[in-house]
Amino acid sequence: MKKEVPIVMGFILGISIIAGVFVTGVPWLTTWKNLLDEWFLVVQAWAVAVGVVNLTQIHSRRVSQKREGWFYSVWLMICMFGMIVFGVFIAKSPQNEGWRWMYNQLIAPMNATVYSTLVFYIGAAAYRAFRVRNLEATVLLVAAVILMLGRVPLGKVLLGGTWIEKTADWILNVPNSAGMRGIQLGATLGAIATALRILVGIERGHLGGTGE
Amino acid sequence: MHLAKGNVFSFWLGVLFAIVLFVLISRARKGMKIPPLYKVPGLDALDEAIGRCTEMGRPVHFSPGIGSVDNAQTLAALSILGYVARQCAKYDTDLIATNRITVVYPIAEEIVKQAYIEEGKPDAFKPENVRFISEDQFAYASGVTGIMYREKPAANILIGAFWAESLIFAEVGATAGAIQISGTANTHQIPFFVAACDYALIGEEIFAASAYLTKDPVLMGSLVAQDWGKMLAAVLIIIGAVLQTFKITALKDLMGK
Repeated sequence: MKKEVPIVMGFILGISIIAGVFVTGVPWLTTWKNLLDEWFLVVQAWAVAVGVVNLTQIHSRRVSQKREGWFYSVWLMICMFGMIVFGVFIAKSPQNEGWRWMYNQLIAPMNATVYSTLVFYIGAAAYRAFRVRNLEATVLLVAAVILMLGRVPLGKVLLGGTWIEKTADWILNVPNSAGMRGIQLGATLGAIATALRILVGIERGHLGGTGE
Repeated sequence: MHLAKGNVFSFWLGVLFAIVLFVLISRARKGMKIPPLYKVPGLDALDEAIGRCTEMGRPVHFSPGIGSVDNAQTLAALSILGYVARQCAKYDTDLIATNRITVVYPIAEEIVKQAYIEEGKPDAFKPENVRFISEDQFAYASGVTGIMYREKPAANILIGAFWAESLIFAEVGATAGAIQISGTANTHQIPFFVAACDYALIGEEIFAASAYLTKDPVLMGSLVAQDWGKMLAAVLIIIGAVLQTFKITALKDLMGK
């Protein structure tokens, strides 16, 4: 029963969603699909509480056992519960000035900071990938150099004319697009097959266990 | 009641694909010969990566990506998590599974717990090793970075739907000296994984993982349907290209219905 009930529910709800996307002119189906979408949002919202409990358990244990870096755990809990208390009891709305200040002045810059570290990671990964070891790495290196030069004004100034830009566009739009679309085609068919296997209960890996 | 405009062709194509899929699955159940699968080094390397962790006495890190449960990539990743968890339970190796989506986190926890129960080691399951980090993309990336530096996993398995954080994970894993197996169907992230990881599963390979790892003939039958689907798509592309060259729009019009 532990496996059968989720499979039957998954089948009924999955078919409802698919029918809601493809079929029109059936008011009750549209209402049912919208209701399911709302339920998903409610489940997602409650799942955040589960996440908060998990974070609290893990980090309070780190603090009580004085593990390495325990003070970061204290700081995490102060920030997490601080935001929750402020949001629920003081701000009460995402439009609140204080709440918006906290988001715009604290969370957004921190996100931007982590995002900006990507430039260093790209440099390090590119160095490893572009080392000329074999034919494939050489092709990758040459294509990357052409693309980089074709995408910046410096490339046109150094090499003159627009041939570098046109070559970069050709690499991007012809071989690159063809490869990408091939991968997308295979992935889409794989995703549809996985969805169908899950709908009919053939694939049960996501339910835990081997499915026997 | 009628089919939504613009979805008619895709609906009937989907129905055809579903029929072919179920026919092949039913034939596989009856013992139809399944053609051998080509080797997927990334999936073969899972055991090697876990073995390395066992020898070094260090944990395995697994991330199912940052997609929710309505993303097929996440579901495929959770199937692989089940396999990894069973292997870790078998060899008494710690598995740290990190999550960004709160809906995915309890599912991941249940999968790992179930794997330890199935291996007869329920007491070895450590709930604190299945972790929810943050719903925020880059806060999750920072959390995983911290875990990679502090707890030094010897294997970093990144399979699922990844976006901009993919390279952060892969580079941090490389710096920490972990063997890295990654996979995603998000085409813009594949080059990052190919450049930074030891093994990369490309696109559809992550969806084939459960069949490949379990060697279940029924699941493998569905892979044959996928291959037939690809052949049909290739035929449609060729016919479409030829017709368009001669300015015949019949196929294009049909597909747009």
